[in-house]
Amino acid sequence: MTLIPTDPSRRPRARRGPLAGVRVVDFCWMGVGAMATRLLADFGAEVIRIEDRNRLDMPRRLPLYKGGDVRSYGEEETNPDPNKGGMFNNYNRNKLGITLNMRSERGRELAERLIGTSSLLTENFAPGVMERWGLTEEHVRGLRPDIIYARMSGFGHSGPHAEYRSYGPVVQAVCGLSHISGLPGREPSGWGLSYMDNQAAYYNSSALLMAILARRRFGQGTDVDVSAVEAGVQLLGPVLLDVAVNGRGTRRPDYPTGNRLDHPAAAPHGVYPCAGVDRWVAIAVFDDAEWKSLVGVLGEPPWTSDPRFDTVAGRVANQDELDEHLSSWTKDRDRHDVMTRLQAVGVRAGAVQDAEDVNEHDPQMAHRDIFFELDHPVIGEARFEGLPFTASHFAADHWRSAPLLGEDNSYVYGEILGLGADEVADLAESGVI
Amino acid sequence: MTVTESASTPAQGLHQPYDGLTVVELATDPAGELTGLQFVHLGADVIKIEPPAGSPSRHTGPFVDDIADPERSLAHWYYNGGKRSVVVDLADDDGRGTFDSLLVDADILISTLHPLELRRLGLDLQAVVDANPRLIVVSITPFGLTGPWADYQSSDLVALAVSGLLITSGYDDHTIPPIRPGGDQAFHTAASFAHIAAILAILERDQSGIGGLIDVSIQEAAGVTVELANPYWFYPRGLVQRQTCRHAQPVPTQTAIFQCRDGRWVYFALILADQKPWQALVSWMDSEGVATDLTDPEYDSLEHRQANFGHIQDIVEVFFLLQDSSVAYHEGQARGLPIGILNAPEDLYHDEHLVARGFFVDIDQPGFGIMPQPTAPYRFSALATTPPQRAASLGEHTDEVLAARRGQP
Repeated sequence: MTLIPTDPSRRPRARRGPLAGVRVVDFCWMGVGAMATRLLADFGAEVIRIEDRNRLDMPRRLPLYKGGDVRSYGEEETNPDPNKGGMFNNYNRNKLGITLNMRSERGRELAERLIGTSSLLTENFAPGVMERWGLTEEHVRGLRPDIIYARMSGFGHSGPHAEYRSYGPVVQAVCGLSHISGLPGREPSGWGLSYMDNQAAYYNSSALLMAILARRRFGQGTDVDVSAVEAGVQLLGPVLLDVAVNGRGTRRPDYPTGNRLDHPAAAPHGVYPCAGVDRWVAIAVFDDAEWKSLVGVLGEPPWTSDPRFDTVAGRVANQDELDEHLSSWTKDRDRHDVMTRLQAVGVRAGAVQDAEDVNEHDPQMAHRDIFFELDHPVIGEARFEGLPFTASHFAADHWRSAPLLGEDNSYVYGEILGLGADEVADLAESGVI
Repeated sequence: MTVTESASTPAQGLHQPYDGLTVVELATDPAGELTGLQFVHLGADVIKIEPPAGSPSRHTGPFVDDIADPERSLAHWYYNGGKRSVVVDLADDDGRGTFDSLLVDADILISTLHPLELRRLGLDLQAVVDANPRLIVVSITPFGLTGPWADYQSSDLVALAVSGLLITSGYDDHTIPPIRPGGDQAFHTAASFAHIAAILAILERDQSGIGGLIDVSIQEAAGVTVELANPYWFYPRGLVQRQTCRHAQPVPTQTAIFQCRDGRWVYFALILADQKPWQALVSWMDSEGVATDLTDPEYDSLEHRQANFGHIQDIVEVFFLLQDSSVAYHEGQARGLPIGILNAPEDLYHDEHLVARGFFVDIDQPGFGIMPQPTAPYRFSALATTPPQRAASLGEHTDEVLAARRGQP
């Protein structure tokens, strides 16, 4: 059995925020679902993560350990401590956690009782898993008529590919986002992250919030179906209409355009080398006034008075040469120094920063307090990404790091469902929880 | 895809989440315009305030037939369908009076005005909130409204650079700079958070009765959208390194995109540790007659597979080169493997799955005619959404909206 800490600050308490009073039975796992419900937990919802002791959530196993060695996320330990995983902590702050064996009849019965006391039911399993447990939309609505039942998936819950398997990079491929990213004439460079795990989570968070808003206003629940691929297609932007309206295909030698901008015309527009290993600065010049300001900072070297660079059209037509000149100026300079000098005269420039830069040195991120710390019984103090917005009239309620495996069993089964301590102990003994 | 009247009106009898909400949009970039579009899709009345020359998106390509014209911008049409266009010159006193009066009945103001522009116009967003206590003002700016970099200028590329996202994307070859993923995603990420923050603010207002000022930073929105990069720094203090079209990781990994016979690509990350997908892959390769020695029993052991990863990868490369991308995609998925075809935007209109779900809807856009638009990626059993609609011409609703204002006591 997991040792449950007695620290009173970890005991569930009344939550603050616009979602206080909302209870969520959360079957979500992995990244997308966990991030989507994390937002609800941040703003006051009581999110109860349901976990299976025999099938650990993958973020509990990923080898991102505080003080551990640095290795690829595929190199898991053989029998990892489920409470040590940094990714799980990252995705599940502010939530409660219980264990439940849904393959047992008693387990399914407890889940149904919990659903009966809750406002939302969320899941992102492969299609058919919830149905196998009897949790069809009709049955769930029988347990709680005004419930919001949210299904998060790669392809949506209807259509011929509804059962296709996906995770971030597969969604990015299928929706077109990978294809539109890269240098012309080469393989796509796509994304170095599961962007569509994050974005699908954001779209799911907003769908859940909309459903909560609608229930408060109109008094009824709803099923929710968000397809990550469809969110990804919406995120492609105007290129979708260029192919449909102008019939301009994107499988052509001059597409995609790397760091150069398709629209509007802008040059120089790119990422330029700076002093140091893999150090770069992004510079984006849109109009003649910005160009003149840039030239001023460069010290008006003779090449800048070449009439070919006088207009946007001329600069775009000659950007190979322009980029060479600009690179020779940036390459021995400090990337933040270039950024600061250009920004001082209103030229759009930004150092290409890494996680160390934004966490440890960026004065803007520090001023805005985007990162914060919470203690954890096994991991110790750990850092978290906050929300990229402030509000003058409400705030996130960061009360606890992620739950240990089964940490809130006695609270949820005892206080919410009203089972006696002996009964809870029996359920643990018999492997139901 | 067919055009019907019913495609442009919500299903009968169902509410939309934003029924009755009025949004005033003052957007100069795709972040603000996409935020406004989400409100259109979910039932709000969105009034788009444009300067006399039209919003910047009207002057941004691509244009229909490449003819630059404020009524032919596809960038504008993409983000602004279904909004009402009202011309108001914020730089003159009359215009400011009109703007102030529009806010009186509004629930939400979306603003992407840069702090320098706000000061130039003498527009203080906190004062706007103070004057309209129920109003929710959602400000989206490059770095947020406060802090040492608040007045800095930005763009999608610059925002991705400073956020920590850009360095994770590009090629294995690090003499090539990091490459910006396409489609204005710093702006789009900010739009997602602006939308979330706005709904939270409405939920809060429904209880407390008061609105307030939301301050979204585009740098931060992209900065928390880096997946592993921050946790690798939080926990083992590692920095991820970009790798071609796959996860940036602290150590190099094997390639995950494969070219097919038709020249197109599929994404498939070979994960050796899991026995089931390994067996599915080998049996698939065997059925095509190219499994070579991978069917040998020694490959049942993970150790042997790991020791021969390079050899396996070579054979898999050949395997994909022998078949067309769409066959590889559907056959791989049928065998339970998470494989994805790298679709181009033009492929999506013919994707059988998106077609079956009715994801694209045809609209009639004056100045062009019938064209497809994606629907909102939200489906509810008991709530309606608004299908895509045409974009308004510049100032099309100025008289209508201002007359309604004047008609009020």
